[in-house]
Amino acid sequence: MIDQGKFGSAEAVVLLAISMSARIFLHYPAYLTETGGPAAWLTPIGGGLVALLGVLIMGRLLAKSPDKTVVQITEEALGPYLGTAVNFIYIIFFISVAALFAREFSEAMLIAALPFTPISIVILGFLTVSILGAYLGLEAMARTARLTYPFIVIGITILLASLYPYWNFHNIFPILGNGPYNVFVLGTFSTAAVTEVILAGVIVQSMGGHSKINSIGIRMVLLSFFFLLLMLLFTTFTHNWRISSEFSLPFYRLARTIYLGRFFQRIEAIYIIVWGFIGLLKIALTIYAASVTMAGSLKLPDYRPLIWPLGMVVFIGSLLPVDMPRVVELDGAYLRPGAWLPNYIIPVILLLVLGFRKRGKDAG
Amino acid sequence: MNMLQRMLKMISYQENLDCEGFILKETKDDRKKSGPEKQDKDKEGRAKGSEGEESAQENNIERQYNEEGEQEQKGQPGEPAQDKKSEDYAGRQDVQGDKAKEGRAGKQAAGKSEDGKQPPSRKGMKRPLRPSEIKKGEGGKEKSQEKTGDYPPMSTSLKENRETIQKLYGLPENKDIVVRNFVLGTQPPVKGFAVYIDGLTDKAIQDLLFQALMLFTDDRPSNVGKLIEYVKERLLPAHQISVHGTIREVLDAVNFGETAIFLEHCADALTVETKGWEHRNIDRPVIEQIIRGPQEAFGENLRANTALIRKKLKSENLVTEMTKIGIQNRNDVAIMYLRHIANPDLVTEVKRRLDSIKIDYLADSGVLEQLLEDNPYNLNPQMLATERPDRVTGGLAEGRVAILVDGTPYVLVVPTTMYELLHTGEETYLRWQYGTFIRYIRTLAFYIAFLLPGSYLAVVLFHHEMIPTELLLAIAGNRERVPFPSVVEVLMMEFAFELIREASLRLPGVMGSTIGIVGALILGQAAVQANIVSPILVILVGVTGLANFTIPSYSMSFALRIYRFLYIFLGAALGFFGITLGLVGQVALTANLKSFGVPYLAPTGPRTMAGSDVVTRLPVFFSEKRPDYVNPLDITREPQVSRGWIKGKGGGGNDRSG
Repeated sequence: MIDQGKFGSAEAVVLLAISMSARIFLHYPAYLTETGGPAAWLTPIGGGLVALLGVLIMGRLLAKSPDKTVVQITEEALGPYLGTAVNFIYIIFFISVAALFAREFSEAMLIAALPFTPISIVILGFLTVSILGAYLGLEAMARTARLTYPFIVIGITILLASLYPYWNFHNIFPILGNGPYNVFVLGTFSTAAVTEVILAGVIVQSMGGHSKINSIGIRMVLLSFFFLLLMLLFTTFTHNWRISSEFSLPFYRLARTIYLGRFFQRIEAIYIIVWGFIGLLKIALTIYAASVTMAGSLKLPDYRPLIWPLGMVVFIGSLLPVDMPRVVELDGAYLRPGAWLPNYIIPVILLLVLGFRKRGKDAG
Repeated sequence: MNMLQRMLKMISYQENLDCEGFILKETKDDRKKSGPEKQDKDKEGRAKGSEGEESAQENNIERQYNEEGEQEQKGQPGEPAQDKKSEDYAGRQDVQGDKAKEGRAGKQAAGKSEDGKQPPSRKGMKRPLRPSEIKKGEGGKEKSQEKTGDYPPMSTSLKENRETIQKLYGLPENKDIVVRNFVLGTQPPVKGFAVYIDGLTDKAIQDLLFQALMLFTDDRPSNVGKLIEYVKERLLPAHQISVHGTIREVLDAVNFGETAIFLEHCADALTVETKGWEHRNIDRPVIEQIIRGPQEAFGENLRANTALIRKKLKSENLVTEMTKIGIQNRNDVAIMYLRHIANPDLVTEVKRRLDSIKIDYLADSGVLEQLLEDNPYNLNPQMLATERPDRVTGGLAEGRVAILVDGTPYVLVVPTTMYELLHTGEETYLRWQYGTFIRYIRTLAFYIAFLLPGSYLAVVLFHHEMIPTELLLAIAGNRERVPFPSVVEVLMMEFAFELIREASLRLPGVMGSTIGIVGALILGQAAVQANIVSPILVILVGVTGLANFTIPSYSMSFALRIYRFLYIFLGAALGFFGITLGLVGQVALTANLKSFGVPYLAPTGPRTMAGSDVVTRLPVFFSEKRPDYVNPLDITREPQVSRGWIKGKGGGGNDRSG
C-alpha cells in the first residue's frame, strides 16, 4: 500500500474543510444568491444535511474493509475491470476539479490584482506550488493547512467585522427568498455538490482509519457549510441580493467595500494571500488525490511519478476553456452536477453491491 | 519485459535512507577495509567469466587504484630495504604498503576486464550512488575511521617500542615530539622513556611526574609482580593514569596532551593525564548576548565545556559519552544527555549517526551539523547551535541530547524546532509578561525580516490602491528623481546592506563597529542625496536589517536573509500572489522538515500539546510538562502545584496587621 503519512483528526478536519470552502471565494456565492434570492444563506442547510448523509454512507462503505481506501473497496466490490473503470471516474473528477479551480482562481487573481499578467503564468504559479505540495505529501499539506488556518480565520473575521457599517438587516427579507423550491430543492442540489466526501475516502488511512471518518467528516461538513452560510448571510447583509448576484467574485467585492477611514481602505490585496492559500491547498490536494487514486488502481508502489504528468494534464485542461464565463458555466453545468456521481451515487451503488454479495455469500 | 521491469523500477518509490541526494561509490578507504572480501568477490566474478556493465565500471575504478598503487611503488624505487617488521606497522609506510597490495590484488581482478570488452572509463569518475541503493543499516555497521593503518602490538623490548614511536612520529624531523629517557630509581633500576608533545602538556605536572619516578622511588623493589601495575598503583601520584596495550591507544592519548611512559620488559604503556595547553578562558557570549541570565559562554576546550554543563546540571544521571571523528585529526566529540529523561531511541539515533560519519578532518561543530542534519538541502537550520551553557542544560532537562566538539564553542542540541531557534532563554528568566512581550516583538520581526522588501515591491508595483493617497504621493514624489525601477533600487540597497554587514564583520575590532555606523548613515544619506535611492527605501531596508538582527539564531537569520531575496523576486514578479506562492511553498517545505525525527514545526504543525511554549510564554509554574514531541521518558516536569507555599497562609504570616 502507498504510504500516505499520518496526521491527526484536527489537521484532517482543517484540510478537508479548507478544500470544501475553496468554492466560496469564487463565483459560487453569486450563483446561490441568484438561486435563493434574499434567502441564499438558507441554501447550505439542505446541502449540509445531504453532505452529512454522504459522510455516513462513506463511513458505512469504508467500515466494510477497515484497512482499505475507497479505491481498493471499489475494486473489491466491482472486480478488477469495472472497479478500475470506476476508479478512473474518481480520477477524472479530481483532475476536473483541479483544472477548473486552477483556472477559476487564476481568473480571480487576474481580476483582483494582476490584470496584465498572462493567465498561463498565473496558472503555472498555482500548479508549481501545488505540485510541490502534492509531492511533499499529505502530511506536509495537512500541517500547512493546520498552520495557516488561524491566519485565514482571523483574516476573514476581520473582513466580515469591518463590513459592519454597511450591514442592512432588512436585506434578508422575505425570509424564504425566491421560494421554498428554489431555496430548499435547487439550493440543496447545488450546495450538496460542494462537499468532496470522496476525497476523505481516498485519504482515509492517513486520518486514522475508517473509525475516524464519521467524526472527521461530520466536523468538516459542519465547518465548511457553516462558513458558506455565514459568507452568504454577510454578503446579503452588505449588499442587496439583486446587486450581489451580479458580482463575479462576491468575496473580492466584499473586501473592496471596506472603508475604515482615509487610511484603511481598499485592503483587498491582503485577501489575495488568503485566497491564494486556499486555492493552492485545494489544487494540491486534488492533484494528490488524483495521483494516489491512479497509483492505487494501477497497483503502483508510489504515486509521486504520476504527479508531474497529471500536473501537465491539469495545466492543459485549465487552459482549454475560452474565458471566465465559460469556466463558470462548466463548473455550474457539468462539474457540480457531476460531483454527485463520485460523492453520493457510486458509494451508494458500492454499498448495495457489497450488501448483495454478502447476502449471496451467506445464502450460498 | 526487461524494459518494463526497468521502467517500473524507475518510477517505484525507494526509501531515502540517508536523506542525502547521492553518495559517492566505495572510496579507497572502504576498499582497503573490505580488501580481502573484495578480492574474494573478484575471484568469484572471474570464475563466472561474465559480467554486466556495472561490474566493468567497478573494475575500472579498481584499475585506477591499482595504477595509483603502482605509481607509488614506482615512486620509491631506490628506497633501502627496511626491517620487515617495522615496515609492516609503520603508519604511512603501512598505508603505502596497503596500496601496493591493493595494486597487486586489483591487477589480478582487473585482468578480466582487460580481456573482456569494456568501454574506456574516465579516470577519477565515480558513479553516484543513491542512498536507496545502499543497503539499510550498512552505514551504521561501518566502523567510522578507526584506523588509518594497522598498528603492531607493543613489544617487551624498550628499544623496539622506542623505534616504533620514533617511526610513527617521524622523529627526529618532528620537533615538537619529545622522547625523554629516564631510569626508574628502584632496586634494581629499570630503564624507561616518556613520550609527550611539547606545548600540549603541563610542565609542572610533568616535573612532579619525573620526580616521583626518578627521585622518590629510591630503594623500592621493582621485581614485585607486574611492574606496570606496581608503578601505576604505588609510584605515580597523578590523577588519571591508564594502561594501554596497543600503540594506537597510546598515540591517541599522547596526541591529546597526555604523557606516555614505556618501561623495560613491559608490553604495556602508561598514559598520565598531563593536559595543559593554552586556551581561551570562559568568556561572555559573543553572539547570544542577554541582559538577565547567566553571562558565561562555552570555550574551545571540550573538557571545560562539559564541566560547564555539569556545573549547571548537578545530576548523577547526566551522562557524557565520547567518540572520535575525523581521520586526520581524530577530534573528540562528546554527547551528553540525562539518562532518566532522554529517550533511548533518540540517544541511539544520535550515536548511530555519529558513528557512521567518515570525514577526513572535522574542524568544527558546524561541519558536524551539516553531516548530521536530516535535510541538508533545506535552508532552515535543523539543530540548535549555541554558545550558552544554560540553553544546553535547559535542553538536556527537557530530554534532548547535546553534541560537543572539541575546539569549538558552539554546542549542538538535538532535536530542535523552529520555535526554539527563535527563543533566547532570556524570556524564561524574565517575568512571563515581559518574556511574552519580547517574543511577540520578535515574531513580528521574524516576518518583517524576510517579507518586508518583497511586500513593499508588491504594493508599489501591483497594488497601489492599498496605499493611502497621501502616502502614495509621498512615495511617488520621492521616487520621481530616482532613475531605477523599484526592484533594482531595492536590490541595490539590500546588496549595500549585506556589504556593510559583511565588511563590518571582517574589519578588525574597533573599526568594525565604526564602519557599520559610517556605512549605514553616510552611505545611505549620500545615496538619497545623489537620487540613487528614495528615502523610504532606506528606512525600509534599515528596518528589515534591524528585524534580522533580532533573530537569536545566527543560522536562522542567514536563512531569512536568503529567503528575503526570494520574496523580493516573487513580489516584483507577481505581487502578493507571488508572495503567497512563496509562503505556501516555504510553509510546506518547512512543515515537511524533521530534526532527528521530530517535526520541525512542532508543537503547532503537528499540534502536539496545548498551551506549549511557542510564542506566548505562560507563567513558569504552568510548565508542568516537558515537550511531548521530544518523547522524554518522563513527561512530568513538575507537580501541578509547583509553588507549595500558596497552600499555606499568604506571606507566611508576615502580612498580619497589628
